[in-house]
Amino acid sequence: MSGPEDIPARVRRLAEFLVANDLQSVRIERDNERFEVGRVVAQGVAALPASEAKPAASVRVDQIAADRVGIFRFARPAPFVGEVLDGDRELGYVEQLGIRNPIRSRGGGRIASILQGDGDLVDYGRPLFELERV
Amino acid sequence: MFSKVLIANRGEIAVRINRACHDLGVRTVAIYSQADKDSMHVREADEAYCVGPGPVPRSYLDIANIVSTALASGCQAVHPGYGFLAENARFAEICSDHGLAFVGPKPSVIAAMGDKATAKRIMKEAGVATTPGSDILESAQKARDAAKRIGYPVLLKATAGGGGKGMRVVERSEDLERAFASATAEAEASFKDGRVYMEKLLLQPRHVEVQVLGDDFGTVLHMGERDCSMQKPSHQKLVEEAPAPNLSAKLRSALHDTAVRACRSVGYTNAGTLEFLVSGDHAYFMEMNTRIQVEHPVTEMVYGVDLVKEQIRIASGERLGYAQKDLQPRGHAIECRINAEDARNGFAPEAGTLSRVVFPDGPGIRVDTHVYAGSVVPPYYDSLLAKIVAHGETRDAAIARMESALRETEIAGVHTTVDVCLEILATPEFRQGRYDVGVLPKLDSRAAAVRQARG
Repeated sequence: MSGPEDIPARVRRLAEFLVANDLQSVRIERDNERFEVGRVVAQGVAALPASEAKPAASVRVDQIAADRVGIFRFARPAPFVGEVLDGDRELGYVEQLGIRNPIRSRGGGRIASILQGDGDLVDYGRPLFELERV
Repeated sequence: MFSKVLIANRGEIAVRINRACHDLGVRTVAIYSQADKDSMHVREADEAYCVGPGPVPRSYLDIANIVSTALASGCQAVHPGYGFLAENARFAEICSDHGLAFVGPKPSVIAAMGDKATAKRIMKEAGVATTPGSDILESAQKARDAAKRIGYPVLLKATAGGGGKGMRVVERSEDLERAFASATAEAEASFKDGRVYMEKLLLQPRHVEVQVLGDDFGTVLHMGERDCSMQKPSHQKLVEEAPAPNLSAKLRSALHDTAVRACRSVGYTNAGTLEFLVSGDHAYFMEMNTRIQVEHPVTEMVYGVDLVKEQIRIASGERLGYAQKDLQPRGHAIECRINAEDARNGFAPEAGTLSRVVFPDGPGIRVDTHVYAGSVVPPYYDSLLAKIVAHGETRDAAIARMESALRETEIAGVHTTVDVCLEILATPEFRQGRYDVGVLPKLDSRAAAVRQARG
């Protein structure tokens, strides 16, 4: 890697090298220059450049649980298994002494399972939904 | 009678209430924190719901979660046990606002009698002798003024308190500010009510309390007294007995009559206890506990009643159905509290897993507990593991039974108070039934002196 080369191009080449050799990170130090390119393992995405990285293969499953005790109700329209949520959404609420405590998806994802029915008594920490996060 | 009752407590008292409900054919709903998910009270109840994480303010004091559990599970009543929300008038009121019977006196009576400074004022008005003291202290400055008036040593006490929480002995004015701050903070943390008041500290009094029971039809009965003078330096009781030994017949009946009269004057219903400090031939009203007490089993053994069942019957609107003359004490009963505490280290509470648990058994022995081999003692709660109660035809017979019961008891995994209870039973003061609140705090230094003398 001699001669002047623009920095984005060098980073891109390092990232390609990283992915091709299935490495976690590559570091090059020379004179007073230092380059390091790595990938964030949890998300399975090479750090840079994002546009050329291979898409993530792993999926994280999040449980959405009740944090108040009361009667669980679905939001309207009712969420369904397989439904893809673009972003944060209210999935239902726990009714407690006349107060509706919303249950939110806390971000987007796909609803993998619905663990409680409308009208069920749910207690603290009771899992309500499983969401696949991409 | 109710068909389903929520038990708003944990530990041995939750198990105790569960048994009383099942005796009455009442179904039970337990509540628990995440730290208590494997606890015995959860296993024994017909239904159980988690109301929050381990720390008390977020679970056993979460009124909305508890009331919501009771309603959603179809309960008609809530039994609060002792501690936690048992003397919280607001909780009692919220229960009744939602159509739930609170197993205890009316909220207004809890507010008046459960608030210890107000209770003293009411008792004074009813002609009951009280110790010199203050109203609620709004500031450290007010506390200083009160102490100057009453005279050191003084006792700071949580007005919502019980079990020695939020209580501080102050002997010198320079210690007052710090004691006021820590008593207030401890009271706030324990009862969600940081208000404290002050009392003159009587030197070496006895602590004698009278059990009362009143129904909604004007019947108020007493079930004798208990002596609870064997207290740790923190004022928490460790050994209790009924009846109180070496009390003159005159003072004994005066205490009983005073208790009944006081309860009638405030329209008291359900179970309650009036605590008195006894110094010589004088008794001073100290406070009233508007709930079942930890040490209620000694009264049950002597009077042959089930106080928790009576509480539930009264709350469901039943009449007591008997009179004072029907209540005859028989024999003597002693209770030892087995706590997860290191008596050699200032009774410091301990948490851990119990690797071995063996409790005593046999005639005249009763054990109220929630622990078993393998059970976890979480760090968040009261350190009480079990109450061992021994009944005998005489006081000596009860002591002998208790000693052998304590020797049969084996608990491994944490330090316990089994050995210190045996030491207490062996003191000449306890043997003779002539002890006051000063005996137990001196026990450790005395044992150390004996060890030293033996070389």
